[in-house]
Amino acid sequence: MSLVQPAAAPEAISPLREAWIVYRRNRPAMFGTLLLAVIVAFVLYGTFLYAGDPYEIVWAPQTPPGTEASVPFGTDYLGRDMLRGLLKGGGPTLSVGAAAAIITLLIGVSLGGIAGYFGGWLDDLLMRVTEFFQVLPALLFAMVVITLFSPSPITTAIAIGVVLWPQTARLTRAEFLKIRELEYVTAARSIGARNGRIMWRVILPNALPPLIVSATLTVGVAVLFQAGLSFLGLDDPNTMSWGLMIGTNRQYVLDAWWPVTLPGVAIFLTVFAVSLVGDGLNDAFNPKLRER
Amino acid sequence: MAGPLLSIRDLKVEFATRNGPVTALDGISLDLMPGETLGVVGESGCGKSITALAAMGLIPDPPGRVAGGSILFDGEDITHADAARLRSLRGAEISMIFQEPMTSLNPVFTAGDQIAEAIMLHQKAGRAEAGRMAVELLRTVGIPEPERRARSYPHELSGGMRQRVMIAMAISCRPRVLIADEPTTALDVTVQAQIFDLMRDIQQEFGVAIMLISHDMGAIAEMADQIAVMYAGRVVETGSADAILDDPLHPYTRALIGCIPVLGKAAGLEGRMPPLAEIPGIVPPLHLLGRGCAFADRCPLAFDRCRIERPVLEGRSHRVACFAAEMEAA
Repeated sequence: MSLVQPAAAPEAISPLREAWIVYRRNRPAMFGTLLLAVIVAFVLYGTFLYAGDPYEIVWAPQTPPGTEASVPFGTDYLGRDMLRGLLKGGGPTLSVGAAAAIITLLIGVSLGGIAGYFGGWLDDLLMRVTEFFQVLPALLFAMVVITLFSPSPITTAIAIGVVLWPQTARLTRAEFLKIRELEYVTAARSIGARNGRIMWRVILPNALPPLIVSATLTVGVAVLFQAGLSFLGLDDPNTMSWGLMIGTNRQYVLDAWWPVTLPGVAIFLTVFAVSLVGDGLNDAFNPKLRER
Repeated sequence: MAGPLLSIRDLKVEFATRNGPVTALDGISLDLMPGETLGVVGESGCGKSITALAAMGLIPDPPGRVAGGSILFDGEDITHADAARLRSLRGAEISMIFQEPMTSLNPVFTAGDQIAEAIMLHQKAGRAEAGRMAVELLRTVGIPEPERRARSYPHELSGGMRQRVMIAMAISCRPRVLIADEPTTALDVTVQAQIFDLMRDIQQEFGVAIMLISHDMGAIAEMADQIAVMYAGRVVETGSADAILDDPLHPYTRALIGCIPVLGKAAGLEGRMPPLAEIPGIVPPLHLLGRGCAFADRCPLAFDRCRIERPVLEGRSHRVACFAAEMEAA
C-alpha cells in the first residue's frame, strides 16, 4: 500500500483530459471503444473499398456460412452475398443512428436549454410540448413520419430524432435549472454577458458530461430503432442495412438461421459497444459514482 | 466635491413567496462616493447581498422585484434601465466579486480564458490581445507566475488565488465601482488580510469606489471610510467609519462591535480567554416583522415605544434609527 501522492505534474489539466485519464483505465469502456472502432473500420472498408453490389445474386440461395470459399458468410434466400450485405449495410445503420442522435441532441438541447434557462411560462409551454411528444407511441409516431415522406436514410434519421428528443430535452432542462443558480452564472451576468452567451458558453459546457453520455446511449437506441423500422419494411428497400437484411429474410428463418442471425449479431455488437462506451463516459464524468 | 458615484435612494425590493410578498429591502438609502469604501454590515438575512444585486440590476425577477425607490449611477437612474444598458454597465462601470471564489469561477475554463472573456465583452480586443491583458491583470493582482496560472483551471488554484482571479476579472475593464459581497468570508484570516491589502492597492491605483459587504464588523472596521449598518432590510445606522466605531449609537451596532474578538484583550486570571461575544436571538423572518423596531426583541434597551412604532433614520452625518439612542442624545 502506498500513500496517496499529490499529483506530481502541476501542469494544467482540463476537465476533459481528466475524464479521459479515468476513461482509459476503465477496461469495459476501452473494450467497447475497441469493438466500436473495429465495427466502424469494417463498415468504412465495406462502404468505400469493398467492391460488390450487396443486391447481386452470386451463389445458390441459402448457402450456409463456411461451405463455399467465395461467400464465406453464406448467402441469403435470394443467393445474395451475406458478407457484402453486412459490410455495406453497416454504413446506413451506423450513420442513421449517429444522425438521429445528433438530431435528438440539437432539438433536445435547444428546447431543454431554453426551457431551463428562462423558466416561467416558456418553460411550461416547452415542457407541455415535450410531454406531448413523450406520450406518443414512439414506433407508431416514427412510422407516421416515415410514411408521410418518402423512405430514405435521411427520413429515417429525422423520424428517429423526432421521437427520441424529449428525453434529452428533459435532461438538458434539469441541468440548466441546476446550473443557472450557481454563482459563476451570476458572476458571468455581473460582467455583462448576455443571455445567449451565458446559455451556450457558460452553462452548456458545464452541462455537457451527462449530455455526452446520453447522446452516446441514444446512438445505440437509434440503431435499434432503425433496425426495427427497416425490419418492418419502412426503411428504403434500396439502401442495404442490417435491419433490412433481417426483415427480408425473416420468413425463411426456419430454413436458414444465418441470414437473420448474422445481421442481428452485428446490431447486438454495435449497441453493446456503444453502451459500454456510454457507461464508461458516465463513470469518467462522474467520478463519485465510480466508488459504488 | 462631486456627488456620489452610486446612490441608492429609498430602495424597496420585494420577493413573492408562499406567504405573500416579503419586503427584503425596506427603503434603504446608501451613497458611495468616488474613490471611497462603503462598508455595509449586518448579520445573514439583513439584505446586504440583495442590496449588492440590486445595484447591479441582478435581482432575480421573478420572484424578486424593485417595488420602489431608485438606483443612480453617476446621476443616471438605472433602476428601470433596459437590459442592454445594464449589460454595458456591468463589468465595465460596476463590477462585483462574490463570496465563494470556489463557485464563482466557471470550472471548465482556465483562469486566463475567463478574464479574457470579460475583457472581450467590453473592449475591442482580439483573443490573443485579451489573453495578454489577462496575464497582466493576474500580475497586477499579485499572482505569481501569471503566464502559467493563466492556463490553470479554477480547481487547481487555492481559494485566495481564485479570489484574486475574480478581482482581476472584476477590474479588467477599469470599473468605477467595485461591489465586494463578503469577498473574504470563505478564506483564511491570513488570506483575508492579503485580499484586503490587494483591494486597497487597487483602490489607490485605479481610484475605484468599493462597496464592501460583510457580516464581520472587524473586516469593515479595517477597510471602510463610511459604514452602513443594516438590519432586517433597513439601514439602522450610517455615518463615517470613525464616528460609528468610536461612538456607535444603535444597540445593534454596539453589539456587532462587541462581537469583534480582540487578541489578548481581557485574558482572565487563569490566562483563559473570555467566551466570544454574541448577540442573542436571530434576525426575525421578514414576513413576521411587526410594526415596531425589528431589533426590539433582541435589544437590551428596548422599551414600549420600540414595539409599537418603527424608528426612522435621524441625524445629519451620523444617522441612527433608534428611540433609545434619541433619548440618550436628548
